[in-house]
Amino acid sequence: MSAAELYGIIASFPTSDAVKEAARQLRAQGIRAVEAYTPCPVEGLDALLPQRRTRLPLLIFLGAVFGAVWGWFIQVWDEMLNFPINVGGRPHNSWPAFVVSTFEFTLLCAVAAGFFGLFVSCRLPRLSHPLFAVPEFDAASRDRFILCVAARDPRFEPHELRHIFERQGAEAVAEVPA
Amino acid sequence: MTATLDETDAMRVVAPGVTLRSLSEEVSARVLRPAPRWWWIGFGVSLLLLLVLVVAVAWLFINGIGVWGVEIPVAWGLAIAEYVWWIALASGGTIVSALFYLTRSPWRSAINRIAESMMLAAAACAGLMPILHIGRPGLFYWLFPYSNVMGVWPQFRSPLLWDFVCLLCYILMSLMFYYVGLLPDLATVRDLARTRTKQLFYGVIALGWRGSSVHWRRQRTVYFIMAAIMAPMVISVHSVVGLDFAGGLTPGWHSTQFPPYFFFGAIVSGLALVIMLTIPIRHGYHFEDIITEYHLNALGKVMLVGSVMLGYAYLWEAWGAYYGSDVATRTMFNARVFGFYAPSYWAKLVLNILIPQLLWLPRVRRSEILLFLISLGVIVGMWLERFVIVVTSLHRNDMPAEWGNFYPTLWDWATLAGSIGLFLTLFFLMLRLLPMVSIAEMREIVEQKSAR
Repeated sequence: MSAAELYGIIASFPTSDAVKEAARQLRAQGIRAVEAYTPCPVEGLDALLPQRRTRLPLLIFLGAVFGAVWGWFIQVWDEMLNFPINVGGRPHNSWPAFVVSTFEFTLLCAVAAGFFGLFVSCRLPRLSHPLFAVPEFDAASRDRFILCVAARDPRFEPHELRHIFERQGAEAVAEVPA
Repeated sequence: MTATLDETDAMRVVAPGVTLRSLSEEVSARVLRPAPRWWWIGFGVSLLLLLVLVVAVAWLFINGIGVWGVEIPVAWGLAIAEYVWWIALASGGTIVSALFYLTRSPWRSAINRIAESMMLAAAACAGLMPILHIGRPGLFYWLFPYSNVMGVWPQFRSPLLWDFVCLLCYILMSLMFYYVGLLPDLATVRDLARTRTKQLFYGVIALGWRGSSVHWRRQRTVYFIMAAIMAPMVISVHSVVGLDFAGGLTPGWHSTQFPPYFFFGAIVSGLALVIMLTIPIRHGYHFEDIITEYHLNALGKVMLVGSVMLGYAYLWEAWGAYYGSDVATRTMFNARVFGFYAPSYWAKLVLNILIPQLLWLPRVRRSEILLFLISLGVIVGMWLERFVIVVTSLHRNDMPAEWGNFYPTLWDWATLAGSIGLFLTLFFLMLRLLPMVSIAEMREIVEQKSAR
């Protein structure tokens, strides 16, 4: 199988320390398109992989601001503009009474922004993925720590990578068809 | 964002033999294997109780709320008491899962799925009650601010509408929080499923989660922020339920202490229900290795704290009535403590405050039977508390000519039994379809332990 038809090559490691060591070596060799698939977050692994910062916290904050403004507006629009009722001459924009609903709506919009933002930024749902076709990949959701070098890396060379992984003590190495 | 374990905690929070593989396979097997017999029995009983609810609600919708015992002066009856009761039980689930996530308590990971499932099932029951109570259930959607030909919107200044907004936001947020935490576990079940139907079902709801480092980092970031939002949210939800009452001029309701008072009650009763569900699941699903005595001990302590805080609120409730100069409040409080409904007042004191003090003893916290019984007592006691708050306050209102007692009818009790049926049916379904222990978070604890 030629490199052009591959998504990449994966190697499975038994422990989180082994996968971290392997990632460190790949990084030292200048291989960039590396991703790890693990049963749980591994401390210190992120720093070894090329990643962009996530802007999700900012998105959640913007969701909160949007919720606060919109939640407030709904109430002011109704009680002040749409159907003003004079209650003992009190102001129509009776803000203390609007605080509770505004607060709840703010939190709802913040959580919703995080929820949908998470899926968009993780490109989910994606029910079909080349990795799912490889039997060895299953164990990444149980007890195996898997490294994948994608074929888009300029230094991608399946045979060489297979040797590297085997030297690093990988339990299984498999090529992932595109 | 992981739980930080010290040496001794790590030994006690998971049994020594648990590995990443055994943990993942054992928990998933509960979902993938055929259901055990106790599940079928429990689910069958739940369905029967649900049937009671269907009949009770049908009878109510045909005849109107006259089938209940509600009358003037006690126009808020069991439906409202049970609304408050259910929403308090639901809050307990969020307290365990969100508040103790922020404190990084190691015992939270094994039981947060049980607590959150309980929360969703109880919130459904809570949401149902006001709809049954309003008398014109078909018009409940008037609570939504939507453009309509009448040109009228809901009254946003009313605490009752605040409550509706709170409950709606709470349920939606809880669903999102639940799902974000569940996603990695669904992927584990998907990868272990062997039949086509299960592979398809879990494959679709796992959304293609792959556990890449990008996925994990974003999921943990969002989950942490969500937990930080859910914690004040749950406090506000039950506080606003308290405001429903505090906003009314009825003696016994019109009190500034109600929001925290209600939240304290939510801690006690919510934790009690978590304990009552955790103990049978622990043995039924053989999770003794993952849900250890350490967890039950911690739950017992939190329930005790809640009980002490609730006792403080009870004290100030009585103090306020006698220290203040409002004759109506004092008259009502005398009737509450010494009158027709006195047994329910004293019973709630015994069940919610007195008996839970046994939890100070480590031996009691280690005994599952005692923990279960104390929790059952608290659940009953909290139902009585809601009954006392709603009914006894109304039965001695400001107008002596209106005074009168409330007698629940058969249909009141049928609605209570039926709502328990709805709760259990939903809970048994989640128990069957979803992994009942947060596998991903437990894997983190096991991994941390083995790294040491």
